[in-house]
Amino acid sequence: MAGAGAGMSAGTDAERTAFRRGSSRIFSARTFEASLLPIAFAVLIAGFSFARPDTFFQWTNFTTIFGLNAVGLVLVMALLVPLTNGDLDLSVAENSGLVSVLVGWLNVNHGWGIVPSIIAGLVVGLVCGIVNGWIVVQFDVNPFIITLATGSVMNGIAFWLPNQQTVPGISTKLTDWTVIHELFGIPLDFWYGVVIMLIMWYVLTFTAFGQRALFIGQSREVARLSGFRVGSMRFSGFVIAGLIASISGIINDGVLGSATPGAGNLLLSVYAAVFLGMTTIQPGRFNAIGAGISVFFLAVGVNGMNLLGAQTYVQSLFYGGILVIAVVASRLINRRRAASAARAAT
Amino acid sequence: MSSQTDPAAPADPSRSAAAALEAKNLAKSFGAFQALCGVDVTIDAGEVVALLGENGSGKSTLVKILSGYHEPEPGGELRLSGADVPLPVPLNRARTIGLAFVYQDLGLAADLHVVENLFVGHRVTRGLGSAAPINWRAERMRARRIFERYGVKLDPSAQVGRLRPTSQALLAIVRAAEELREYREQHEQSGGVLILDEPTVFLPENEKVFLFDLVRRVTDDGIGVLFVSHDISAVREIAHRAVVLRDGAKVGDVVVNGVSDADLIELVSGHRMDRAAIERATSGATDAAVDAAGDVALSVKDVRGGRVNGMTFAVRAGEILGIAGLLGAGSEDLPYVLFGDETGSSGEIAIGDWSGDVSSLSPSKSIKLGMALVPADRKQQGVAPDLPVALNMLSLSLKNFVQGGFLRLDKLLATANQRAVAYDVRPPDASLNLAALSGGNQQKVVLARWLEQGPKVLLLHEPTQGVDVATRQQIYELMRMRAAEGAAIVWVTTDFDELATMAHRILLCAGGVIAGTMAPPYSRDRITSEVYSISARGAAAVAA
Repeated sequence: MAGAGAGMSAGTDAERTAFRRGSSRIFSARTFEASLLPIAFAVLIAGFSFARPDTFFQWTNFTTIFGLNAVGLVLVMALLVPLTNGDLDLSVAENSGLVSVLVGWLNVNHGWGIVPSIIAGLVVGLVCGIVNGWIVVQFDVNPFIITLATGSVMNGIAFWLPNQQTVPGISTKLTDWTVIHELFGIPLDFWYGVVIMLIMWYVLTFTAFGQRALFIGQSREVARLSGFRVGSMRFSGFVIAGLIASISGIINDGVLGSATPGAGNLLLSVYAAVFLGMTTIQPGRFNAIGAGISVFFLAVGVNGMNLLGAQTYVQSLFYGGILVIAVVASRLINRRRAASAARAAT
Repeated sequence: MSSQTDPAAPADPSRSAAAALEAKNLAKSFGAFQALCGVDVTIDAGEVVALLGENGSGKSTLVKILSGYHEPEPGGELRLSGADVPLPVPLNRARTIGLAFVYQDLGLAADLHVVENLFVGHRVTRGLGSAAPINWRAERMRARRIFERYGVKLDPSAQVGRLRPTSQALLAIVRAAEELREYREQHEQSGGVLILDEPTVFLPENEKVFLFDLVRRVTDDGIGVLFVSHDISAVREIAHRAVVLRDGAKVGDVVVNGVSDADLIELVSGHRMDRAAIERATSGATDAAVDAAGDVALSVKDVRGGRVNGMTFAVRAGEILGIAGLLGAGSEDLPYVLFGDETGSSGEIAIGDWSGDVSSLSPSKSIKLGMALVPADRKQQGVAPDLPVALNMLSLSLKNFVQGGFLRLDKLLATANQRAVAYDVRPPDASLNLAALSGGNQQKVVLARWLEQGPKVLLLHEPTQGVDVATRQQIYELMRMRAAEGAAIVWVTTDFDELATMAHRILLCAGGVIAGTMAPPYSRDRITSEVYSISARGAAAVAA
């Protein structure tokens, strides 16, 4: 994990230097900000390792964390394009849950092969994204409230399909290809998440699409008068979110081997991760690698506290608390950057 | 008539001795720029005084001193109904000293109902305290009584956003008048002054009478009115006296009935063209005919949309076409209509070889056809302040920096740094966030973004608004060069000095149509005079 993280941040350092040449004072302040989360992460790991060397500081514990949290790692990537566009999508967790139940239901209750079930799951996730995007763009309504509503509908369908029952016994092939097979000693699903993260990082940082999304998130008016197709850009943000959320649902089936409607409390943790990620790598911007690191920061935190004997409600406290801290911190970073930029100009 | 100050005789000597408002020696400077130099204004109780003057003459500075937004230079005095008011006026507390303001944007909440807007801040409750339930029936009845008293027909339960603009203006004025009435009751005072800042700009000509009737009723109560306007016919209709400002100084204080429209326009625009203006007009703009010998780059026929109500004209390659009009004349919507950004537009348009209906245009299509739009509202429509200069400058050209599937941020930055030097953006560091730049430098970035496209047609709307003098000259130079290289430029501004300097040809705009072509030579004063005349004529035609 640590090795992977270092490799990624080296790449973004180059990008940052490209944008920051010639203002070393700002550079150093940025470096300090950007390293806060990694430092906190290191302190966290060191602390838990000291307190629980036998259970926490074990390679198997870390591979378990990587394997179990790939669902969150993928789901957090679903948020990035809509958020960069300035849109909140609150339905991603329910979308993921619906697809997870649907794939199990088709595979177990209806005897579909696992591959057709997965394809059906991807299609449904995509359709959910299309519905969100179409309503938001076509009727120019607030995505916050619309995705809250469509998420509730998806949740309802997820309970309805298997008659509120857990669907056990999903094809072991799926489990094999998510958590059983390993690469470099880490379950495959982690690497799926890493691949999606790298794709999102590429899309947002190194494509015209991603840079236009930044404009749309800042000012729809400016983007529109620049000839950007604001409506279709926002629409595609929701569609991408729907597709990626469905992938996380499928991985969830593989990890658990079964599908339970309404399982998990993922929404808050992925929002905590995406805002926390804003404090590092590319401070002040929603970015894929920062978000990915944050998923594991949160996961390690929860894992360590569990090993220290904490009850499960600690998760809620932790995610909620971190979300508040992360949002405030990213806000402060942006404000400080604006102030120092103003100073630099005078 | 004499241009010298007509010693402001009271409107009616029988009225109370103390003037409703008496301001002496109000002055304001911003750095070296003297926006207002020692202006005196008197408004008697029940009198309507018009405040006239072109953009930048100091009108809004004067209003902002009265509202407390600006602190005047020491030495000014303000008396309301004979009582001294210490300056500066406490901001947002003007109501407590007997001043009420209605601005052009009216300050109404469009989603709320008429009663809610009328009683904002002081609702009728069934008891005391803000926790007590609001008595809606009583409020509606009280609202009806108030409207009756002012002779205004308004439905208290209507949603404000659905009212006609005229009804909205009436509501805003009634609300302000009620504030004054309450002030008088609480302080057992007479007087009170209502300041109307350009209230008629966006109202249809034939509905302005309702507003005039309302203003008369308000003054019947002894309230003085300061009527800030460009609209000479409205001033003639409603005002007893007119105070005229030019370049921050009072150049006239006349009884409206004693002067002709021409006299007023002459006061606003200045008597004779000054030497500098003549020189400018003869050196810069007269060879327009030679310059504009290129092919037609843009032609429009009967274009409508927003306040544009049927405009027909053509611009040649290499020509700078100035569009002169007062706010509300339709010229302010023209660039956006031509760029395909105004819904519900219609009319024929031809850009180079392409021709079609304006409604088929969108900003992205217009850009492909070689058009560029520099909007007036830089903050809202021009720039993304929290993104780097490089991205702001090259946002339209991102595709040119994609190599092997990767957007080359290093090349983007290098190119932006080169452009920053070429356009003299200071500091020339394209990695800074745009917000770090001054207004003038931000505008250079906006221009650079569009010029990067090599546009055939440039639509400029107030391109030097909020831009410092030096940058302004640079922008002028840049535009002259682009025109010389064959770009057609449509230049819409209310800065007539700028038009006189830059335009090869000037169209006069009023009431949503092109009301005439101005004959050279051009100078600020001549343009001002023609624009005001044509606007007054248009209004008279509708009234007839």
